[in-house]
Amino acid sequence: MIIVILCNAFAAAAGLALFALAIWVAVDGYKLYPISGVSGKDDIFAGAWIAIFTGFAYFCTCIFGIYAARKQRRSLMLAYLIIMFIIFIFECASCITAATNRDYVSRLLLLLSCLQVECCGTDSPLDWVEYNSTFRQLYGTTYPWPLNCCKRLSSFEVADSQGCIIGQTSTMFTQGCFTHIESVLSRYTWAVSWYGFSVQMFVFFMLLIAMVYFTQLG
Amino acid sequence: MEVYLVLCFICMLPIPAKSITTVDCKPAINESLAAKITINTVILQQPRCCFDNLTNLPCTSNTCEIWLVPAVDTGLSTFDANKASSAILSLSPYPTAFTGSSPANYFLTKVGLQSDFPCVSPSPGGYFRVGADGACSTTNCNGFLPQGSSPSFKYLLVDSVNKTVLAETKWSDSIALYTLKDPGTLGDGFAGRSGAMVVITTLLSVAAAVLLLFLIVVLALCCCGGKSKGSGSVVGSVMGSFRIPRYDTHHLKDPAPYDNPAYEKERKYTTQDTLPKTKATSAVNPVTQDTIKLQKI
Repeated sequence: MIIVILCNAFAAAAGLALFALAIWVAVDGYKLYPISGVSGKDDIFAGAWIAIFTGFAYFCTCIFGIYAARKQRRSLMLAYLIIMFIIFIFECASCITAATNRDYVSRLLLLLSCLQVECCGTDSPLDWVEYNSTFRQLYGTTYPWPLNCCKRLSSFEVADSQGCIIGQTSTMFTQGCFTHIESVLSRYTWAVSWYGFSVQMFVFFMLLIAMVYFTQLG
Repeated sequence: MEVYLVLCFICMLPIPAKSITTVDCKPAINESLAAKITINTVILQQPRCCFDNLTNLPCTSNTCEIWLVPAVDTGLSTFDANKASSAILSLSPYPTAFTGSSPANYFLTKVGLQSDFPCVSPSPGGYFRVGADGACSTTNCNGFLPQGSSPSFKYLLVDSVNKTVLAETKWSDSIALYTLKDPGTLGDGFAGRSGAMVVITTLLSVAAAVLLLFLIVVLALCCCGGKSKGSGSVVGSVMGSFRIPRYDTHHLKDPAPYDNPAYEKERKYTTQDTLPKTKATSAVNPVTQDTIKLQKI
């Protein structure tokens, strides 16, 4: 019984942490959502939303599990097991969704995205030089790349437009958007999918122990 | 007469052809800039220290001009054949340099005065952008290079008065310009299923399936196993060897027969339900069978 109670306490804490982590992803501090939304592959945020609910549900159910183990009543333990299993299924869905989404980021759209992310081109600014685009048709004679690639002052003006046009590395963003977005997406994916996975593994073994305890009751 | 002869003799002396000095310099790209090569422009390093060691020049550093020759394919040899000409600056104007049936494939454009490029540069980061003027139409403008070509470059020292070439650098290596690619070839970046996803999916699916299995087994064991033995009228399991169907406990004040649940199915005897109801009832808990718990009535 002590083991069950301790495991439940630990799982409650882990569930609360998952809840907080999923909120962090959903808040989207890196403003990834517009880009993923455009490409239609925003499952990482769906996974995060599911994880918010499952994390909180884990927390509540584990507290109930502590109560059920204390009371040593079969019906309570059974209810606990069934509820935990349902939450387990949902959290599986969240982890798998988050993990698969990572594979789908589209490179093409990143070439055309000029948003607040501090990056230029897909792999590097040279993508603007090498590939044809509407921008090149319109402005290709003067600017090798859009001025969004240039570093800006706090007043939103371009810091050094001449330097940016010729490509001085100190005046522009040289990191490709794909690299930048991929790294941010990895951070989110690690949070939801891998941490969720580790919580799942712990809950799996805890539920096995709880089942054994259940059979011993009464 | 003698004067005339002397003059004639002087005239007949072969005037040494002004040979163009070739300095040991080679134009190179400015590697530190991101836009060093585009589809029609190139950014070169400035021609510093190239022409500063020359002597006997008819112009000074304030009047000597530095010019650039971008040339493509046959333009290199065409220029080299024509460079001694006094009209070299306008032999191949930019608008027609790369067009027509037999284009010259080179043009000349002015970079600046020799005094603009001292050997020791006062400020770092000097560059010269070939193609800065775009699609221009004057004779010596700094226009776009042909897209996708591989031009070579050469700096020249030109006498501003005579407009003839005094010295030149070597030809640079040919620099391949980009050709525009279709953005569709950027690819979707779909590198296939990552290992992490496979691991997570399989492990979680297996875990969920195992949990479900165990849950069903546990439920089957506990709940179904218990149902066949009756529903909770007695706490705990039935004592299998205790086969007396009904017995009285004699130490009670008002004894009532106790029905052994092991014989409940047979129902060949009166049970608690069919007997007239007495006031006192009791139950035997096999665990604590030596103590009787009386109900308060």
